Amino acid sequence: MSVFRRFAAAAALSVAVAHTARAQQDARLTLIRDDATREAVRQQLGGAVSRGVPAGPLLAKALEGVAKRASASSIKAAMARLEENWHRAAKALAPNPTDDELSAGADALQQKVPESALRSLRKMAPGRSVALEIGVLTQLVGRNVAPDQASKMVLDLMARKATGTQLTALSSAVQEDVEAGLAPAMALDLRGRGIMSLLPPPSAVSTLNPRSTPRP
Amino acid sequence: MDLERDETIERAAQALAVLPPSDAHAVARVMAAVRAHAARRPNRVALVVEWLRQPSLSVATAGALAAAALVLGFFSRGAFRNAGSDQSARATLEGQPTGEFAIPTGTARPASNSQEVRAVPVPLVFEARTASRVVVVGDFNGWDETQTPMVRYGTDGPWTATVFAKPGRHVYAFLVDGSTLVADPRAPRAKDLDYGGDASVLMVTPP
Repeated sequence: MSVFRRFAAAAALSVAVAHTARAQQDARLTLIRDDATREAVRQQLGGAVSRGVPAGPLLAKALEGVAKRASASSIKAAMARLEENWHRAAKALAPNPTDDELSAGADALQQKVPESALRSLRKMAPGRSVALEIGVLTQLVGRNVAPDQASKMVLDLMARKATGTQLTALSSAVQEDVEAGLAPAMALDLRGRGIMSLLPPPSAVSTLNPRSTPRP
Repeated sequence: MDLERDETIERAAQALAVLPPSDAHAVARVMAAVRAHAARRPNRVALVVEWLRQPSLSVATAGALAAAALVLGFFSRGAFRNAGSDQSARATLEGQPTGEFAIPTGTARPASNSQEVRAVPVPLVFEARTASRVVVVGDFNGWDETQTPMVRYGTDGPWTATVFAKPGRHVYAFLVDGSTLVADPRAPRAKDLDYGGDASVLMVTPP
């Protein structure tokens, strides 16, 4: 009898946790006040989650649409694109991407960063998260820098062990230059060279400071 | 006969107060068993089995445990991961420790390869003198308008909040009075290819 009670307690705890997770999802869904939109989101969410995409980013995409007063069909389409991009990012960032990387990767693909660029980033840094590098690349491409040029610059800087601060500084500087009227390609070239002048060449980096530890 | 000091009782009490001599062999056996038990590494499966076999848990206790888990779960909102995942955000008013605070709500879900990168605090400031309520919405808080209310500095000063975002690129906006979405004039913009218009971009560097 006592064993039964223990099993019952464990089962009750499991049910409670599952119920809580569901309740939290439902609570966020209630932020969508329009019934039709909420139902559309719920359906889209169920299908995507069953195909392996976490609900959080999808629900966020839906809530973003709600905040921007998008129609139910627009929200549904945006969620579908996110799901598709999530799967593409998972392939490009294989074998073991984090959710942060996948989220950044899906965002990058949406901004027309090619999958080959994501694969190159992963190849350059197989043992650590490249979410920040993906974000920098996305922002550069978003400022009309050609994807090939942007990915080459980011890869070159990674090879020279540029820090995250240097990479984001590059992004910000290019942004400011483009807003000031400089051509995106020229802005990236100038700013990239500036940062590279502070860094050792890749061969020296690989000799002095071997690549990061393997992915756990 | 003195009722308060009975000699017979006192003698009995004295006799009982002295501990009987212990068996040295028995003590040695017990101590050896204790040391052996302490030296053993705990087997988690055995611990679980032992827990299941113990007859001390009542139905009431089990129910209380389940109820506690339920209540705890409801109060620790965010176990269902946000888009920014693991993101907690709170409003803060610099220099005014008594300002309103939103409870951090995110609960981290383990990453697929346990490479969790810490979120870093990023202060945001927004000028909206006529607004009565401003919240920050973005991918770092799942675009959830209940997560990050901003706090006005002074009576008619700027609105401030600190969000917690992981290193990388984030998009966000300010929701004014629950209806108007406004881009951050201090931040770079990016085209929103899903819903149109521009989004503010936040590039977060590692700490």
